[in-house]
Amino acid sequence: MSADSNVAGVGVGGAKENHLINFIKDNATLIALIVLVIGLSFADDAFFTARNLSNLSRQVTIIGIIAVGMTMVILIAGIDLSVGSVVGLSAVVCTLMMQYGVPTVLAVPATLLVVGVGIGAWNGFWIAKFNIPPFIITLGMLTIARGLALTLTNGSSVPVTSDVFPLIGGAYIPPMMSSIVLIVCAALAVFSIFRDVQQSKAHGVEVNMQELLVNGAVMIGGFALAFHVFTSYKGIPVPVAIFAVIAFAGIYTLNSTRFGRRLYALGGNEDAARLSGINVVRTKMIVYTVISVLSALAGIILASRLNGASPNLGTMFELDAIAAVVIGGTSLAGGSGKVSGTIIGALLIGVLNNGMSLLGVVTFYQLIIKGLIIILAVWFDVMQKKK
Amino acid sequence: MSEVVLKMQGIIKDFPGVRALNNVNFEARSGELLALMGENGAGKSTLMKVLSGVWPYPTYEGDIYLRGEKVRFANTKEAEAAGIGIIYQELNLIPGLSVAENIFLDRQFTDAKGRINWNQTFAETQKLLTELGINDIRPTDLVQNITVGKQQMVEIAKALSLKAEILVLDEPTSALTDKEVKDLFRIIRKLKADGVCMCYISHKMEEIEQIADRIAVLRDGQTIGEVTPIADITLDQIIARMVGRDIKDMFPKVDFTPGEVTLEVNNLSVTNPDLPGGYMVKNAGFVARKGEILGISGLMGAGRTELVGGVFGAYPDQTTGEVKLNGQKLDIKSPKDAIDAGIALLTEDRKALGLFLDKSISFNTTISSLETISSRVLGIINTQQERKVVKEYVDQLGVKTPSIDTVIGTLSGGNQQKVILGKWLNSRPDVFILDEPTRGIDIGAKVEIYKLLNELVQQGVTVIMISSELPEVLGMCDRILVMCEGEIVSNFERDDAKKEAIMAYATGSA
Repeated sequence: MSADSNVAGVGVGGAKENHLINFIKDNATLIALIVLVIGLSFADDAFFTARNLSNLSRQVTIIGIIAVGMTMVILIAGIDLSVGSVVGLSAVVCTLMMQYGVPTVLAVPATLLVVGVGIGAWNGFWIAKFNIPPFIITLGMLTIARGLALTLTNGSSVPVTSDVFPLIGGAYIPPMMSSIVLIVCAALAVFSIFRDVQQSKAHGVEVNMQELLVNGAVMIGGFALAFHVFTSYKGIPVPVAIFAVIAFAGIYTLNSTRFGRRLYALGGNEDAARLSGINVVRTKMIVYTVISVLSALAGIILASRLNGASPNLGTMFELDAIAAVVIGGTSLAGGSGKVSGTIIGALLIGVLNNGMSLLGVVTFYQLIIKGLIIILAVWFDVMQKKK
Repeated sequence: MSEVVLKMQGIIKDFPGVRALNNVNFEARSGELLALMGENGAGKSTLMKVLSGVWPYPTYEGDIYLRGEKVRFANTKEAEAAGIGIIYQELNLIPGLSVAENIFLDRQFTDAKGRINWNQTFAETQKLLTELGINDIRPTDLVQNITVGKQQMVEIAKALSLKAEILVLDEPTSALTDKEVKDLFRIIRKLKADGVCMCYISHKMEEIEQIADRIAVLRDGQTIGEVTPIADITLDQIIARMVGRDIKDMFPKVDFTPGEVTLEVNNLSVTNPDLPGGYMVKNAGFVARKGEILGISGLMGAGRTELVGGVFGAYPDQTTGEVKLNGQKLDIKSPKDAIDAGIALLTEDRKALGLFLDKSISFNTTISSLETISSRVLGIINTQQERKVVKEYVDQLGVKTPSIDTVIGTLSGGNQQKVILGKWLNSRPDVFILDEPTRGIDIGAKVEIYKLLNELVQQGVTVIMISSELPEVLGMCDRILVMCEGEIVSNFERDDAKKEAIMAYATGSA
């Protein structure tokens, strides 16, 4: 093989620097997040405290939960603009039901079913069955759901009457329990990475050491930070735990299930997916239903945390969710992306919001900065794909 | 002897991990057609991209001389200005614009205020078309409304309007009907007489014999042998240069006695969505037997793809008729139904309909049979089992790849096709329909695919093969259906099939 030996001689000189550049490119969002956290810690003493970080993590969960669903939607080259309105509608429906005496344990699942599944199936039906652009269908739903929320409440807020309901968004898993949970999760994570490496080796697959090290470092850092924050301040907030479960389920679904594979196929080449025997209509309907249910859940958590529901809850959430997905590296063209990236994207937006508020940046400027960062992230993504 | 207008010397081009061109040397003269031959992945297209400035200097090594002068293009515009015109396999026209607008794109004739002078633009276009002897295209026709063959003529006219002295044609006939090929060749001969130098990339030997003056062969990024006049070389020698070994048996057909009828199609019609009341397939009926290779021949647009697509459930809203498998009537409403019933369809258009280009070999192999490698309940994929299955197919089919995680878009056409074959074999079909399975694939891979078809029929699979290449149909099929204008017009047994008779039916002149 003369060709191989020739190639080997070509790029040896610049290999080291290329490695570093590639490393930065591959993990740009993550590096940006870490830099931002370190910078804010120096800029304001109040930032890197267990209390602030615990609150921050709770704030991130709302957009984070929606963004997990949005990752799937964008992965199949779709979009869902109605999520913010679904948040508002579900918050209103759930609190109203409780006002009429429905117990919390029934009101929550009923809301998920009626608002979440109902709206999702409606969106999915039009998009999948009649091939109407998701942008249009969900834009319509954005207005409809908001209108419904306003109609149901006559434009005013609904107070929460139940004692149990506020726990969903406001309670904590006690520190002792929290540390046990975290240790068990960390152990499981280490075990699964170890097993993956073993299996890859057994099959003669080359292990990507760089990726492995980054994943390992992020995981160790993440768990250490979580351990510090949650054990020294009240424990793991319940919504954070819910988000963690959903995020894990999202990652696992996309990585390791038939359904996940089909999403990548559908987003990559819809015609080929159909001719490969994938039920395109059903798959799309499920995806739009999933995101709607997750949005409804986010609405319930938000109403619980705020101890009441305004029909205007969730306005513009769709933009934050889409931004988290896009900053996380999922391509709007569909077919490629990861939930783990989305989580980093959501954290980045959350840290940014939190940091700017702490530093006293005027809200108007916050909007401008956030917008610029979204543009920067997409530009970076596009530039990278060109190479 | 005419003047040497183009000389490429010591061209070397590296891609990450591969050396695509390794010291290529050749020259071409004015007024000649130089055939550039080689298997897929041999480096022909890369070479032409170097020539046309797609890969600017210094991303390659070596020198290019035009009429003895060394040139180094920084971009395609410079190459264009130097008189190099390229017509790619995939045409680069804008469908929604007229012929004239496409030809003079961004170069329209304008008055002093910058307003477009449409009359002059149309008149100049007409002049160009007339010069080329093309009288069935009007300058005002929208490109989307004319056939692929005519679109190709428009591309040629465009290149000539740019004063191209060197014209590169990259597999120009792959989507043309016989008549269109004839028209193209007429124009090529005229251009030769006008002194244009043409580099012609093609796999089709018959064409090369007809119009090439000299031939250069590329293999593994190197020029093999000298540029040779076509009169001094035999077909076998060309193939030997291309493949690096002798291919003794191009069509390794094994005789096999067909068994009972497996697939029966009655009265199948597919309507034309663009033409109310029109049909793409009309009342087609045929049977296919266990253990036979049934060929479907016909011209482009005869309805072959639509016929098998109809059987496969690809356009359920447009299809009527009855499909029976092993005597059982099937109700196929989607490709999924067809696959579940035991039918597989390898599509003609690999890129658009068959591949997930930026996904791995592994992903592409298992996507249509995920059930076999995942748990029943939650659909959790068993990665180890997946790797095992994919490895088996990669080995069995001889896919040349560094790993099963390699992105399929980086493989050559032949290897991509093998992966798609593996994907469908993994769905264990009773009836395997292949639409132009060897299109754009090198000879070595073709023979491997033929051998695989033989193995399949011996295992009792019913194979249906659509092909535009008559030698292939005649060489490999037990029975041949001929389609013309949406209808099945003839059915030949292997021993009675003659090239002339099939062509007569296919063109509707029988």
